Amino acid sequence: MNPAEWNYLDRETLLAHAYAIEHEAAERYQDLAAQMHDSNNVEVGDLFAKLAEVEAKHAAELSLEHGAAVTPAGGSEFMWDSLESPLESPEAIAYGDMHYLMTPRHALTLALAAEQRALSFYEDLAARAPSEDLRVLAAEFAAEEAEHVRMVQEWLQRLPEDEADWDDDMDPPVEV
Amino acid sequence: MNMDTAGAPGPLTARDYKSDLKPVWCPGCGDFSVLSAITMALADIARPREEVAVISGIGCSSRVPAYTNCYGFHGVHGRALPLAAGLKLSRPDLLVIAAGGDGDGYSIGGNHFLHACRRNVDLTYIVMDNQVYGMTKGQPSPTTSPEWDSALVPGGTGVRPFHPLVIGLAAGANFVARTFSGDPKGTARTIAEAIRHPGFSLIEILSPCVTFRPEERDWANQVHPAAVEETQDRAQAARRVLTDDGFNTGVLYRGDRPAYQPNFAPKDADLSEFEREFLP
Repeated sequence: MNPAEWNYLDRETLLAHAYAIEHEAAERYQDLAAQMHDSNNVEVGDLFAKLAEVEAKHAAELSLEHGAAVTPAGGSEFMWDSLESPLESPEAIAYGDMHYLMTPRHALTLALAAEQRALSFYEDLAARAPSEDLRVLAAEFAAEEAEHVRMVQEWLQRLPEDEADWDDDMDPPVEV
Repeated sequence: MNMDTAGAPGPLTARDYKSDLKPVWCPGCGDFSVLSAITMALADIARPREEVAVISGIGCSSRVPAYTNCYGFHGVHGRALPLAAGLKLSRPDLLVIAAGGDGDGYSIGGNHFLHACRRNVDLTYIVMDNQVYGMTKGQPSPTTSPEWDSALVPGGTGVRPFHPLVIGLAAGANFVARTFSGDPKGTARTIAEAIRHPGFSLIEILSPCVTFRPEERDWANQVHPAAVEETQDRAQAARRVLTDDGFNTGVLYRGDRPAYQPNFAPKDADLSEFEREFLP
């Protein structure tokens, strides 16, 4: 489904997308946690693993509370799966944003941006969905994402600013 | 290949074309996004996994067959293209993708690259160009700029870099494109187009090595869509590519050479006869 076809959105498809957003974010965080642990950046690896747990829990709650399914009801793919769609799965962090020396502040800044993208996605849906039921449901999900945004912002406030030389490596990769 | 979900209802998604093996690339490596783009393109093409083969040589990016859930072959250094061409000619029913890096493809495999372009077998060659040998720790590759200063080559190589797209055009590649790993959707679209185009398709993907070329993270600010439409004029395409800034992205050339087809029908191999050639 392309965003241009949101007029055809139904409840099952919206729920499947909500589930997929959380599930794909959880999978991506698991990938990133593994990358960081492989790079011996244990602190950020553990943080990504924690974020993966949060997203997986949210996916499970969606499934429990709303009966969200794994796949869209009316179509074979998610809005962002189509190559013609400008969307990426909104809550997934880009692989290219990683750095092996990144700090928890970097990680949470990326997580915040991801939550904000998910919030925008649902706000857009809440404004454009074809029926009142769907607009209410999308607004409910938007409110949940707004809560996640506030949570990550609070976590960020507890962290100290990064040192200017955060990416200095005392034992850098050696060219041979 | 993990076929656990073979026969599952519904079309395959990009995730279905990814294996369960986690890539061991460095955090931030462009190859993560290229892997995603390849699997998105395969989902778009919608060929069953058992009809797809990903072939590679040696290098960081050449690990791709392990991370895709289809048939694959992790071959010898620089030999992805002869392996891929041989497979395609003997099994024309398969969708064959060759993948690797600039060192593997343009140096060790440079001669094979020329003749693969010339033969125009119907396959897609994806080169993740990071302008360095990453797996072996930072040696200059054929596409490294002459002034790149490193501990291994103080002051740079001073050697003119290889220009793969111009050479590919001159040698006969039938589809030539350049993309950036930081744009996985655009890269996936281009890969899908390349697969659908008959003959030898070359896709140069600028894929930063954030470990040995950390300055390549800035490529995200340098790439831009080509300002002109793709052309079917090989000479015009070569002139454009030769004079651009190296950061033009998009399909740059789409030719109409017929793909090479041998004038003999592939036949079932008699393995016992084959073994007799090698066993005493």
